[in-house]
Amino acid sequence: MDLHLSPEQTLLVESARSFLSRVWSLERTRAIEASPSGFDRHLWLQMAELGWLGIALPQGFGGSEQTFLEATLLLEEMGRALLPSPFVPCVVVAAPLVQALGSAEQQRRWLPLIAAGRAIATLALVEPGWRDEWRRPEVRALREGTRLRLRGRKCFVPYAESADLTIVAVTIEGEGPSVLAIDREIPGCSYSRLDTFGGEPQFDMEFDVAVPATTLLGKPGEAGAEIDNACQRAMVASLAFMVGASERVLEMTVEYAKTRSQFGRPIGSFQAVAHRCVDMRSDIDALRYLVYQAAWNIASGKVDALEVAAAKAYGNEALRRIYMNAHQVHGAIGFSMEYDLQLFTRRAKAVELQWGSTSFHLERVAARMGLE
Amino acid sequence: MDFAFTPEEERFRQELKEFLRRELPEWWRGMFVHDDRVFPQTRRFCQELAERGWLTMAWPPEHGGQNASVWKQAILREEMWAHEEPRGPQYMNLNYIGPCIMRYGTEEQKRRFLPPMAKGTVIWTQGFSEPEAGSDLASVRTRAEEVADGFVVNGQKIWSSYADAPADWCFLLVRTDPSAPKHRGLSVLLVDMRTPGITVRPIDSMAGPHELNEIFFDDVKVPRNCLLGEKNRGWEIVTAGLAFERAGIARYARAGRVIELLTEYVQQTHCDGQPLAANLDVRRKLAELRVRYEAARLLNYRAISLQARGQVPVVEASIARLHNTQLEQLVGHVGMEILGLGGLLTHADPQAPLSGSVYRQWVRNIPTTIAAGTLEIQKNIIAAQGLGLPRQR
Ligand SMILES: Cc1cc2nc3c(=O)[nH]c(=O)nc-3n(C[C@H](O)[C@H](O)[C@H](O)COP(=O)(O)OP(=O)(O)OC[C@H]3O[C@@H](n4cnc5c(N)ncnc54)[C@H](O)[C@@H]3O)c2cc1C
Repeated sequence: MDLHLSPEQTLLVESARSFLSRVWSLERTRAIEASPSGFDRHLWLQMAELGWLGIALPQGFGGSEQTFLEATLLLEEMGRALLPSPFVPCVVVAAPLVQALGSAEQQRRWLPLIAAGRAIATLALVEPGWRDEWRRPEVRALREGTRLRLRGRKCFVPYAESADLTIVAVTIEGEGPSVLAIDREIPGCSYSRLDTFGGEPQFDMEFDVAVPATTLLGKPGEAGAEIDNACQRAMVASLAFMVGASERVLEMTVEYAKTRSQFGRPIGSFQAVAHRCVDMRSDIDALRYLVYQAAWNIASGKVDALEVAAAKAYGNEALRRIYMNAHQVHGAIGFSMEYDLQLFTRRAKAVELQWGSTSFHLERVAARMGLE
Repeated sequence: MDFAFTPEEERFRQELKEFLRRELPEWWRGMFVHDDRVFPQTRRFCQELAERGWLTMAWPPEHGGQNASVWKQAILREEMWAHEEPRGPQYMNLNYIGPCIMRYGTEEQKRRFLPPMAKGTVIWTQGFSEPEAGSDLASVRTRAEEVADGFVVNGQKIWSSYADAPADWCFLLVRTDPSAPKHRGLSVLLVDMRTPGITVRPIDSMAGPHELNEIFFDDVKVPRNCLLGEKNRGWEIVTAGLAFERAGIARYARAGRVIELLTEYVQQTHCDGQPLAANLDVRRKLAELRVRYEAARLLNYRAISLQARGQVPVVEASIARLHNTQLEQLVGHVGMEILGLGGLLTHADPQAPLSGSVYRQWVRNIPTTIAAGTLEIQKNIIAAQGLGLPRQR
């Protein structure tokens, strides 16, 4: 047992923090949020050069051969910088799916491009009416000779319009849950942008297309477990982002409580205000170690562990508390769009709504405790 | 004790509901949306209410009212708030600006300012808070210097809702005697927003436009007959005004409406072949909201019961407000949780569940424990005045 980062991990975190603080600012977060692509391509290429985009991929594909834990540490720094990018869907979700399921040829085609920042990948999983991602796909693919006819609708597909590769979760008639690697070049998919508040571009996708059976990733009908793993990774990665973001919000809030005066004294000297800051501190600390533990479990192959579900079950409630406390301490100014707090609050709510509710994850925890 | 409304009161509520169904356009989503139809609609709506005698129904007959019972007023407030306040900014005229003018104004001021309020044709904004004076309201610095024919105002207000509507008048708290102890150098001016020297800067809030504005005053001349009450006695007026304001919004009623919408939603929405209403967690969560709604409503009714006996509930109003505001926030959070991923859509997306009502409930209520006296300030009032605990400041 040792809850410290290794010297290499410390170096990774420090260099990520100093790089991001040099190249990124909250003004840029605002600007990028309003842009159509929702991320900065130039910076994406720089992230590739730093080895971030292939962080957990083998060197043969241009990767850095680290683990999911290192990806999580990077995400924490991206959260602190509030850097919007397709890192979660592309690097955390899609690349490992290609690695786990794809043929040698599919891996050679996509993984080096992803690691080099030259291909963006995303996952089309959610379907209309879903409350969370933890479901089996109902969009059908029908065999038509050597082709698969894909018809249906997916929603909440992040960065779909920028994606060169969209991994689509489907059910093949008579065979079961499967994933297809759909190339941007294949016509027959249309996109429309959804109006969401979380600062990440989300799309509706309509498919009516016949694709070659070679687009299948892995064996038909056997993708269920890997989709589930991908969801676990995305969930923990998003929480890690919010740990870094929340740390920054705590710094902002404490600074505000020290410098804002009412009744002739800093508001932080009122116990009611100080205790809110302390509650934020203790929630962020707990969430950080729950996230590290979850990431460590995932990195060690224990994706389905109680510890992974625990991170989200705690995280949902903690995020609510952290952001309500931050707003309360800030008073009216925190509600204005001009002030930066809202940038963080909207993302925290979006992370809470994605990857499962508290009760869903508490059920998972209960099951893994052995409760029948 | 009697926990029921009279048949006549129930009839009134039904009449109001039908009226709202008829008068509220399908696009109405409250005031904080980018839509030029919003303020003309609220003016039209208030004039319709005025024609039926409902707008100022609480006021005494000499000012165009009907001396309606506090319970009828409560029903009106509930139905209005439940429908995202279709009176728009004018609810403030009725809740505290009109009553303050009735109590502190000259006869001339009453004749001048009350009839347009009763007709539903005038929008007022509240100019209290300043960048350095939020919870510590008595430290406002906006200066009104006395000159031969009135006052000259210089300074800045912030967070003034609806100033950009545009507001016609401002209920303005100013400092008239900088040398007096801070509570004793304040006055209230009734300021025509078209006076030269006034600039309004809208500030977008997380919920949208119109809720927050800055107002700058640069050598603004205010005639003497626009001073409300006595000079340097403004603190008393503002304290009374804030007490009226706190009791004047039936916040639990919007929470109740969203609970109703969610209740319909979970019955109509199917998940794994079952209505969401069959999900134990969803049932319990909605039931808990309902229980807290009952508690909030009763505490509001306790305050109203005291008013019905001619008393002024201060501590009771603050306790009701604690329940109201925290209920509103909880309904937002739990509502979003029930929607799950669908909650990510804003009301600008045609696919948003319940037309984005739940999203709005969440985002609008982020500062509900801040506006009109923060949660901590309410608790300080209850501690000092209700429990007799020593003051800490
Ligand atoms: C949506 C909205 C609409 C508004 N509309 C108007 C309007 O129309 N007109 C207008 O004049 N104003 C308006 N306001 C302003 C509102 O009245 C102030 O925001 C409120 O009084 C708090 O002041 P503040 O924001 O400066 O916070 P601050 O007073 O700076 O408070 C910051 C934090 O310190 C805490 N604190 C301060 N003093 C104490 C204490 N003694 N003990 C314990 N804790 C303390 C507060 O509770 C809060 O948590 C509006 C605000 C909002 C959010």
